[in-house]
Amino acid sequence: MNEYLPLAGIRICDFTAVWAGQTATMYLADMGAECIKVENPFIWNPMTRAASPRINRMMAAFAPPWIAGHPNGEPGPRPWNNCPAFIQVLRNKKSFTVDSRRPEGLAIVKSLIRISDVLAENLALGTLEKIGLGDAAIRAERPDIVILHMPAFGRTGEYIEGRGYGAHIDSVAGSTVLRGYRDTAPSSNVQIFAGDFWGGMHGAFAVMTALRHRRRTGEGQVIELSQAESSAQMFPQAALDAAWNGRDSGSIGNRSIEGFVPNGVFQCAGDDRWLALSCRSDEEWQALVRFMGSPAWATRNGLETAPGRAAAEDEIEERIEEWTSRHDLYDLFHGLQAAGVTAGPVMSAKDAVEDPHLAANGAWTRLRPRTTTRRPTSRRRRTGSRSRMCV
Amino acid sequence: MDALEGLTVLDLTSQIAGPYATKLLADMGARVIKVEKPGGDAARSLGPALHDQPGTERSATYQFLNTNKESVVLDLKNEAGREALYRIARLADMVVQSFSPAQEERLGTTYEALRARADVSVLSMTNFGHTGPYRDYKLSDTVVFAMGGEMFSHGLLDREPLKLGGTAALLQCGAMGAVAAMGAVHAKEVHGVSQHVDLALFDTQINSIDRRSAAILAYRFSGRLQERAAGPSAGVAGGIYPTADGYVEVTATSGSYWLRFVEMIDDDALRGPKWLDPAFAMSPAAKEEADAIVYPWMLTRTKLEVWAEARRAHAMVAPVLTAMDLANDPVFRERGLWTEVHHKILGTLPMFGRPYVFEKTPWRIRQAAPMLGEHTDGVLAEAGYPAAEISRMKSQGVAG
Repeated sequence: MNEYLPLAGIRICDFTAVWAGQTATMYLADMGAECIKVENPFIWNPMTRAASPRINRMMAAFAPPWIAGHPNGEPGPRPWNNCPAFIQVLRNKKSFTVDSRRPEGLAIVKSLIRISDVLAENLALGTLEKIGLGDAAIRAERPDIVILHMPAFGRTGEYIEGRGYGAHIDSVAGSTVLRGYRDTAPSSNVQIFAGDFWGGMHGAFAVMTALRHRRRTGEGQVIELSQAESSAQMFPQAALDAAWNGRDSGSIGNRSIEGFVPNGVFQCAGDDRWLALSCRSDEEWQALVRFMGSPAWATRNGLETAPGRAAAEDEIEERIEEWTSRHDLYDLFHGLQAAGVTAGPVMSAKDAVEDPHLAANGAWTRLRPRTTTRRPTSRRRRTGSRSRMCV
Repeated sequence: MDALEGLTVLDLTSQIAGPYATKLLADMGARVIKVEKPGGDAARSLGPALHDQPGTERSATYQFLNTNKESVVLDLKNEAGREALYRIARLADMVVQSFSPAQEERLGTTYEALRARADVSVLSMTNFGHTGPYRDYKLSDTVVFAMGGEMFSHGLLDREPLKLGGTAALLQCGAMGAVAAMGAVHAKEVHGVSQHVDLALFDTQINSIDRRSAAILAYRFSGRLQERAAGPSAGVAGGIYPTADGYVEVTATSGSYWLRFVEMIDDDALRGPKWLDPAFAMSPAAKEEADAIVYPWMLTRTKLEVWAEARRAHAMVAPVLTAMDLANDPVFRERGLWTEVHHKILGTLPMFGRPYVFEKTPWRIRQAAPMLGEHTDGVLAEAGYPAAEISRMKSQGVAG
């Protein structure tokens, strides 16, 4: 079956680090590309290999699980081989160590470039040039190569020296300001990495379009993906409201920009249990009201339409939470969906692992032989091709 | 030359996620024939509207998501409408759809039904896939992020979990649709394999690299759950600081990030070995002492002035920009983040620009989002319908 993988026969010389870049090449590797991760054994790959090369059991307990949740809480003597973030993002890739700062090492890297179809990188601007691997030098080795650069803030213009990872890209892209609570300032926002997810997908897509062009014309090219500019496309409604209507958006918490009322996250019975709920139409609102037992507050005049409900949104949210807090999360989830209301649990990692739908659809696969734990499979199943596993 | 020149996509998607997938294809040169139901894609009524005046052609959401596409109106509940769909499918290399599994059955757009009439790959972007107990459940941006994404650990510990801004989670699912579509394009063009690509929006979020997939692995590995933070920052400095005109995001954990942060602030009181001693640096006293210097420094500068200082020192500090900042920023404008579209009714408008810059096969907007049914006649003619038949279909409401 491997010969039918969409990118079988494509080789990637992978200089990516941290999240966005390594995610882009992860998708390409999942589709069958041979991804050779070039690592310098003297330079630590932060954020994904592990929280630190010397992390021990006690330090791991204080670091976030996604980076330090090693098997059984024990990083062991080689924490760089069993960190959750690493196992996830380096799947289907090969590791190749070389000190490219030394002339002999650079020569080895160049010989790898000669047999590669794609070179991908998201290092701090100028890093590759410094070791003698500017675009011209790369193309001297392989004229038809596709080069993917994923700088944080572009390769031209005043902002190129900006430094940052996912959270800083989120800030510049206009994401951070839109995702806080309605009643708190942005200074209470926590760091997330939506832009890494976004940049990774767009990087993979961009490389695949360039590979199609190369197959048809023999021509390689350079792609510049500014992570901040790309991530800004996640919020087109806010951007166009500013450009067309002169209006600047702030955070509306868990409310909807699509006009759904109510739309939010409500506490249920138990510890840290939350229901996400969207009434996507007036019919869904009526179904919700019936499901709640048609209480007087919900059946009064004026709430039949979304604009009417918007005028009473604070009260509606309070009343709904009084009701949800008396009920079991999963009873509400299945009951509301059966009644035609868009609702679902805020799933912890534990909920996801135990979820019957994911299990029924074969969402988990077992990795062999390096580990016996499970990870999510690639999100696609297709006839005639499949994801490989060779982490 | 466009990278996706010669690729024709029959687009049966509506709303947000599916249309973003086909937009990415269209903006790189694919021909995308969008079939809309009579009355049009529901996204045509999503806000914001140009000058706050709603109308079929005035939705910013629709205008952004449907650049470079053609619009054909067909009633797929009608047998003649379905026949027209199959004939148009013969013009295409691929079909992308966002119907529910039940709708696919009802409207005749299952993979089997389409393959019986045309040699196409079919990408189905459903909520939960075609099998399993949640198969027929509904989703929204909020619900797909709650269930699939790592909403559970986004926000503060003593508050409710938080969604992302806007409809980011749905658009992320759309981006994954484009990745999957390109996989199918390569498989077909290289191996001659047409196939069904089954993409569940829920699965896209469960596999999200934004903390989710690693958090799930971490739970399996160690039993530890990623929880919401008790507060926005830890340690001596870090988190979001107010400036004279907004906010900046700061990472200044100990080691080189702290040293670069101090280089930016350039105050000797923050230099010296005590700041590098983890026991002191993590103490409330250290934070108090640092804040007394850092806050006034921040508050006497704009966020862009802070960023300029940060870039000089290579500090991990960046401004929290708003949509208006992005709309007006001269550097991003100069680089081409904004472009223009020329719309037949709306005139010339600013349009949010490209997610990437290609050296040889540029991202470009060839035409604004289509008016409802703008291309019905032309596409039906191409599919072999004579003019008289087309007008009959339109008068019967089969086409529009």
